[in-house]
Amino acid sequence: MTATLLPAAADPVGVGASPPRPRRRRSGRDLTLVTLVTVVSVLLFVIVGLPLLRILTVAFSPEGWEIVSSMLTNPVNRRILWNTVQLGVVVALLGTFVGFVMAYAQVRLKFRGKKVLHLISLMPIVSPPFAVATAAITMFGRNGIVSNKLFGLEIDIYGLKGLVFVLTLSFFPVAYMNLKGMLESLDPSLDEAAANLGASKLKIFTSVTLPMLVPGIAGSFLLLFVESIADLANPLVLGGDYTVLASRAYLAVTGEYNVAGGAAYSLVLLVPALSVFLVQRYWVSRKNVVTVTGKPSGTPELITAPALRVPILSLAVLVAGLVVLMYATVIFGGFVKIFGVNNDFTLAHYRFVLAGIGSDAMFTTTILALIATPIAGLLGMLIAWLVVSKLKRTSGLMDFVGMLGLSVPGTVIGIGYAIAFNTPTIFAGRQWFPAVAGGSAILGGAMAIVMVFVARSLPSGQRAGISALQQINPAIDEASTSLGASSFTTFRKVTLPLIRPALLSGLTYAFARSMTTLSPIVFITTPQTKIMTSQILAEVDAGRFGNAFAYCAILIVIVLGFIGLLNLAMLHPSIRGIQRR
Amino acid sequence: MTATSESAMTHDTTLADDSLGTAPDSLATSTPGRVSLRGLRKVYGEDKNATPAVRDVDLDIEPGEFITLLGPSGCGKTTTLRMIAGFETPTAGEIRLDDELLNKVAPNKRPMAMVFQSYALFPHLTVFDNVAYGLKLKKMPSARVAEEVETALTSMNLGPYRDRAPHQMSGGQQQRVALARALVMRPKVLLFDEPLSNLDAKLRVQMRGEIRRLQRRLGITAVFVTHDQDEAMTMSDRIVVMNVGVIEQVDTPQEIYRHPATVFVADFIGRANFLDVDVHAVEDGRAEVGVLGKRWTVPKHPGVDVDEPVTLLVRPESVRLSPTDSRSVGGSVGRVLSSMFYGESIEYDIETEAGNLVVSVADPHAHETFGAGDFLDVGFEEGRAWLMPVGGETQ
Repeated sequence: MTATLLPAAADPVGVGASPPRPRRRRSGRDLTLVTLVTVVSVLLFVIVGLPLLRILTVAFSPEGWEIVSSMLTNPVNRRILWNTVQLGVVVALLGTFVGFVMAYAQVRLKFRGKKVLHLISLMPIVSPPFAVATAAITMFGRNGIVSNKLFGLEIDIYGLKGLVFVLTLSFFPVAYMNLKGMLESLDPSLDEAAANLGASKLKIFTSVTLPMLVPGIAGSFLLLFVESIADLANPLVLGGDYTVLASRAYLAVTGEYNVAGGAAYSLVLLVPALSVFLVQRYWVSRKNVVTVTGKPSGTPELITAPALRVPILSLAVLVAGLVVLMYATVIFGGFVKIFGVNNDFTLAHYRFVLAGIGSDAMFTTTILALIATPIAGLLGMLIAWLVVSKLKRTSGLMDFVGMLGLSVPGTVIGIGYAIAFNTPTIFAGRQWFPAVAGGSAILGGAMAIVMVFVARSLPSGQRAGISALQQINPAIDEASTSLGASSFTTFRKVTLPLIRPALLSGLTYAFARSMTTLSPIVFITTPQTKIMTSQILAEVDAGRFGNAFAYCAILIVIVLGFIGLLNLAMLHPSIRGIQRR
Repeated sequence: MTATSESAMTHDTTLADDSLGTAPDSLATSTPGRVSLRGLRKVYGEDKNATPAVRDVDLDIEPGEFITLLGPSGCGKTTTLRMIAGFETPTAGEIRLDDELLNKVAPNKRPMAMVFQSYALFPHLTVFDNVAYGLKLKKMPSARVAEEVETALTSMNLGPYRDRAPHQMSGGQQQRVALARALVMRPKVLLFDEPLSNLDAKLRVQMRGEIRRLQRRLGITAVFVTHDQDEAMTMSDRIVVMNVGVIEQVDTPQEIYRHPATVFVADFIGRANFLDVDVHAVEDGRAEVGVLGKRWTVPKHPGVDVDEPVTLLVRPESVRLSPTDSRSVGGSVGRVLSSMFYGESIEYDIETEAGNLVVSVADPHAHETFGAGDFLDVGFEEGRAWLMPVGGETQ
């Protein structure tokens, strides 16, 4: 290839097929590209880079470093560190297992009601924090309806037990999606080859299916580990005496006004989170062996053998039942006075959220999320496009920084925002920007919240965009360039329409994530700019579960409504474009 | 039938050896199986009245025979193969191996080995472990497994690759591993599901020969599915031509080509000119027909009858052309519409009163070629034409 290109490039007349693209890039004539890269880089720096840098500077200041260095020596801190790791490992193990069971049942077993099971498995993704935790307390707590009223048990749900239960139910969908995709992409002829060589169903499972899924299982484990150590909402509600790094950092900042302490705990949280992210990206993804030869041909035969079907299905149904019970509690709990104590019907909770004091938060959150969603969606696609087809050496860096918004725990981002943006940005003795976060900031701190929404939600779009773009033949891009389009025109007219489905899922995720994110928000929400998730926290803290349930239910309705509208809009011919396939 | 394969086998030993040719006889210790299909039928889905993917398939595959299921996509050839392997359950009919009924036997209990279109090598196992997979399941002692696998790998020239992962190998090498993995099981029947379709053209031709030689040397029964007629013609003892779920014809490659049973077969295998003819007389195995201004005595299909609609098959290479002084199309005179030079042959499109004919002339001298607009006298070799019924009864 190079051998044939080189003489052509040296061809002085240019009659040979001299490649136009490298020349153009070297001379830097494509100004729009340079501008685009600059704008995206600056944006990324402001919404993720700066807060992280500020965290690091504070954590490495003398007061901060004192706490960081005492993590292993101070018994209290050592306990917190151990709690965090323990919680992460247990939830990752259980969540991956549950996710695998659900995925295996979905892809390989024969039974009725697959669609329903699939939807149930996805429900926790669109749910706000606290929904599961609050429902779990109501059902399985000390006075829980199931645990106490039904079985007469006195279960202490606060602490590790409750956290594991709630986090597993909340996070298993991540493993489910991951493993379901992998199971579906396994070539069914591998199973047939094994059967043909004499392997029984069980033997096929242990010698072919399971080993092929190892990367997916490892990847899910790591993702769940990070998700659970980064989680703040559930430890706040359910932790009790069981303190983890995230809740400790929260306490330091909001209770003790000890910013240096917050930054220090954040740093300790950041290290495992980022290492897992790096391992996941550069090691697990390389070990992926699923697609080797050809494309999967045909569909695998669904399993009807009771030896596999009965245990797996029972487990799947149990998990699905628990998920349904949790959400039924949320919905039902919003309509009664105090669920389990006083079951009289009331609309007071919904009135509070829809028409009372709570409506303020509902409108503000929705509007800010609606502002952030298109920004995050487009920015995610733009980064994906730059990473896949435009940048060369720096593409890895941009991809990495773009993903930081998700791979860095929300608590850390929130504290970083509080440190970086609560005061005007001053550099070299000049104020470059007024304060954007906090009560005294411009727009009542709303700008920082939109920035957090964008930072948190653009990675999902970016991921979807990258995988969609990698499937597009680069020649299509080159064709547009050779017909005279600039880089940005190519992106707008050719690339974006081709990755429409990825954009759709990017927007969906962006909105859902913006609406349901809590951990960074609690650090920068202000009395002027109330956000639903932090309002739910306040209601739960005050023991007003009914209001919290109503909030959660309405939040879910808003998110599902948005997804529905978006899908409907995408069905419209003018937006959908030409039907492909 | 057996005569064909025996004569071919003696012919084979004289051929120059290559990478697959060294397969030792130790791999040949399995006894070749006889496969019988009776009234085989497959309907997908719950609706029993839906169009069957395969219907009324009756076939006897002799021990040691290389048989090819050939047809366009959707003709039911792969479904038939998968029913033999056990991956699909027949809706009706019987599958027997050496008189044992196989319908209820699980695929992992059938003494057959399959080479898949995608090769289906286990990506998480090395080449060695891929080939050893089935032997280990047979509970064979590991020392013997190692011995057998080494023998198989060496015979396929795969020895140096034993510790490689499948994705580190070329398509041709992966194909060999798939073949070694199947052969090492010493199956009674070897099944091939379009195994060559993922290879490039040159390698495909090479592998054709290698697989065929290997199969003959080991004397194993083989069922080969393909949509490539060249593969079918060059490799098979007999070809089963299928279309829309039914068998159109089962015969040797030569018979299929020279004496097709239906218009579909004639059209699908090779290229064909179909001429409308007047049937003047029908006698035993022959018929007198009028076309191109003359009377011809041609061989005929047994199904040809005076009252039935018939057509005359004339292959492009059986047409004979000679210069003429005539300057108008009619009778035996035709006119060249276009010509294409292929190197080893030249091809003409010729307008005649019986329709346009495709004509292929092998290895012509430069002074023997014709150009567009030339008028020619058109005839054909009587013995190579074939009078056949239109709309075969199997349709």
